[in-house]
Amino acid sequence: MTESALELAERALGDISGETQVTVMRERSLVSRFSRSRPTQATRVEDTTVAMLRVQDGHTGSAETNDLSDEGLHDVAARADAGARAAARAAGARGEYPGLPEPEPVRAHDGYDAATAALDPGEAGAALRAAFEACAARGLEAFGIWTVGAVETAIASSAGVRASDAVTDALMKVIARSERGRTGWAADAAVASSALDPAAIAARAVAKVAEGEPVAVSPGEYPVVLEPGAVQDVLDFLGALAFNGLAHAEGRGALVGRLGTRVAAPAINLSDSTRFGRTLPRAFDMEGVPKRPIPLIQDGVAHRVVHDTRSAARAGGDARSTGHATAPGGSSFGPHPTNLVLIGGGAADERELAAPIERGLYVTRFWYVNPVHPKQTLLTGMTRDGTFLIEDGAVTRPVRDVRFTDSALRILEATEALSSAPHLVPSGDFYGRRFATGVVCPALRASGFRITGQTV
Amino acid sequence: MTLDVLTELMSRAEGRCSYAEARHVDRRDEALAVRAGEVDEFAASAADGIGVRVRVGGGWGFAATRDVSAAGAEAALGQALAVAEAQPAGPATPLAPVQPARGHWASPYEVDPFEVSLEDKLGVLFGAEAALREGGDERVVRSVAALRAWRERKAFASTDGAACTQELVAIGAGLGAWASDGTELQVRSYPLSHGGLFAAAGWEQVLALDLAAHAPRVAWEAIELLTAPTCPEGTTTIVLDGEQLALQIHESIGHALELDRMLLFEASYAGTSWVRAEDAGSLRYGSEHLNVTADATVPGGLGSFGWDDEGVPAARYPLIEGGVLRSTLSNRESAALAGLERSGGCARADGFARQPIVRMTNVSIEPGEAGSFEDLIADTDAGLYLETNRSWSIDDRRLHFQFATEVAREIRGGRLGRLYRNASYAGVTPTFWGSLDAVCGPGEWRLWGLTNCGKGEPGQVMAVSHGAAPGRFRDVSVGVA
Repeated sequence: MTESALELAERALGDISGETQVTVMRERSLVSRFSRSRPTQATRVEDTTVAMLRVQDGHTGSAETNDLSDEGLHDVAARADAGARAAARAAGARGEYPGLPEPEPVRAHDGYDAATAALDPGEAGAALRAAFEACAARGLEAFGIWTVGAVETAIASSAGVRASDAVTDALMKVIARSERGRTGWAADAAVASSALDPAAIAARAVAKVAEGEPVAVSPGEYPVVLEPGAVQDVLDFLGALAFNGLAHAEGRGALVGRLGTRVAAPAINLSDSTRFGRTLPRAFDMEGVPKRPIPLIQDGVAHRVVHDTRSAARAGGDARSTGHATAPGGSSFGPHPTNLVLIGGGAADERELAAPIERGLYVTRFWYVNPVHPKQTLLTGMTRDGTFLIEDGAVTRPVRDVRFTDSALRILEATEALSSAPHLVPSGDFYGRRFATGVVCPALRASGFRITGQTV
Repeated sequence: MTLDVLTELMSRAEGRCSYAEARHVDRRDEALAVRAGEVDEFAASAADGIGVRVRVGGGWGFAATRDVSAAGAEAALGQALAVAEAQPAGPATPLAPVQPARGHWASPYEVDPFEVSLEDKLGVLFGAEAALREGGDERVVRSVAALRAWRERKAFASTDGAACTQELVAIGAGLGAWASDGTELQVRSYPLSHGGLFAAAGWEQVLALDLAAHAPRVAWEAIELLTAPTCPEGTTTIVLDGEQLALQIHESIGHALELDRMLLFEASYAGTSWVRAEDAGSLRYGSEHLNVTADATVPGGLGSFGWDDEGVPAARYPLIEGGVLRSTLSNRESAALAGLERSGGCARADGFARQPIVRMTNVSIEPGEAGSFEDLIADTDAGLYLETNRSWSIDDRRLHFQFATEVAREIRGGRLGRLYRNASYAGVTPTFWGSLDAVCGPGEWRLWGLTNCGKGEPGQVMAVSHGAAPGRFRDVSVGVA
């Protein structure tokens, strides 16, 4: 019988004395990739890693391995122990890590689907065929991915934590492309692959492929409608730049001195809610701290930042982990909200959002966004796969992709309206160990969106 | 290594697919960071596994497993065949020919970083981080000294007869200081941002950086930036330091010349290219001062190897000569599709659980005739000297870009002047490289190793090096951010 992730964690913890956390992550995933309406790459991964965190006098050392033999587990424990002891010796004083979290009840969720976990390559093939057919019907080619994953996470610690969680995720992304290089994008994600409709996703991408030559626009400020695919980037970066409790504690965060003040339009209600409808649920963070809904911006007022154990210790006072550790013991980059939810507004859809705009821009999604000035939440990036002009309240002509350089908080401050139906926009990059995340958000209309350049 | 397991697996793959290859990758990583007089990170990792890739008809299948036994490899082969066969049938296309790779290759180093004690490593970092704080200025809100080393051992076999092994050892280190006065936040790094300067080398690489000696300047410059004037907006001459020029090469030349992007294989994620496969030999990419080389043989390069991850031998060849495009970066599949005689040897994979895709090796701008850095500044009447990358972004065809640097210094009358903060510049790739009018000489040229190049689905992170010396560009838009 196969050893469960929690059984493996307990075996690794074994009879180790001293403060120790064992984290097991077992990934099974399948990615089918396509280009020019042909399958190009299909990747199936099965891997299990055991991460060992050792604590010595407030100092930590961590090591991980995918060698699950007793010898491999002893070796990883020895390396983590050596690191923690060396850290303690080098510092010569007690470190700031306050100790492993005590066990807390963990709530179940509905984030696992057994059929999705089967990783059926036949399902991938059928999804690709559906996308190819939908694009071919309009004389277009299909590009994108279909992917499913099943990840088990288990934590056993010397503090008494015994927790396990199993999640699945499914994602399909389609870019439809014409011979002239015009493109349209659509993507959906869900806990279960059965919730994806490949033909419908492809049809949405196809509908974005505009005919006619894209027009140029001058740098300047424009009223804008951002689809959920673009809002997701703004919010995800805001999560890192404004709500990271470590950056906040060190005076680097965008909300230093601004908590309790208005930082966004009154319609903005942003939270980290792991059980909100459409999100990808998780039971606990990488320290075993249970996930709970955390309000971040309420009615436009900045409410709080998120913490792991390490950032909470650095913040001091009554700060406690909010369940946002992204690594055992807390990441040196700080905690991160991985289940952002922006509540929708009163507009029926993007068309209604565009209606009041005399001349503005309509953005499907962004590309290559990076911070320019973190404390100002100033970002730059390009638009991609569906940028249009709004004229007299209607989406009219395609626009050559533009560069924006604007502040995420300013965009939320200038938000005038939100669509009613939030959408789960997946990040979908899957670098390193599979950790599916997404932002649940609606489309929005904002004023003064700053364009600083345009491609040729 | 399990080369025997792999070659035996390949013999069993014969007849079940048109092509198969298997890689066993055993990788060990170690990362250390010190912040505020404490170890901020000690993370050691070991990942060992086999990746099997097969071609059935026109489709590929790839499966990865941590089970490195013969049974595990056989199971991965079966899974790779299953996922390949389940896909919609595509046209069978050829692979560029290759001589079977045989033998062993290893990157050179003097002192194995995994033989250096933790105490010695921490000693270097504690000393450097303390030097960042030695001024006692409370405006320094974060100070970090960090290093990272890795060793990757690979075995590779294919149904084309390849059976080879190789080993790469790499290491890098750096430091950074963040200063804030409550409203403004500035960062200064050494020797570059993005975590430090990395090379395929040993512990000697870290010692040569002499982190502690540079730390006081780094901290002071971060503080000085808090009150420095903002970089003015306008059009002017810029001189890029080697690190920023390396990133400029990476983003607007290296990625643009990846043949898979030109053939639309990466349109789903990383994007395409403004360059067409048929442009080689005729496209003017930049000025006559632009000479760019792909070189997987250069010692110290993070993109150096004996063979790429398809068993194609390492090579050095020109990409751009005198501003004219000569060749592209390719793997066996893209080379064959583009009608090339051979692969460019650029197939690389991130660990055992990812399949090889087209990647840069070491893509470098060749040294020019502008002499030393001091000579170049002395030859510049007015402009800005931009140093150390802070922000980067480029469109999905690698045309319109915008970069920001940690510092800018005024150039006036052939001398460096006052400091500016929040410096940025923007441009369009061929116009920008067309404005290159000087590159410093061999004495200023060095490899800049980067570890964070992302591409592929599922995502793959790759380390690459770019050789560069400071270069000068005319009529560039600055202060755009």
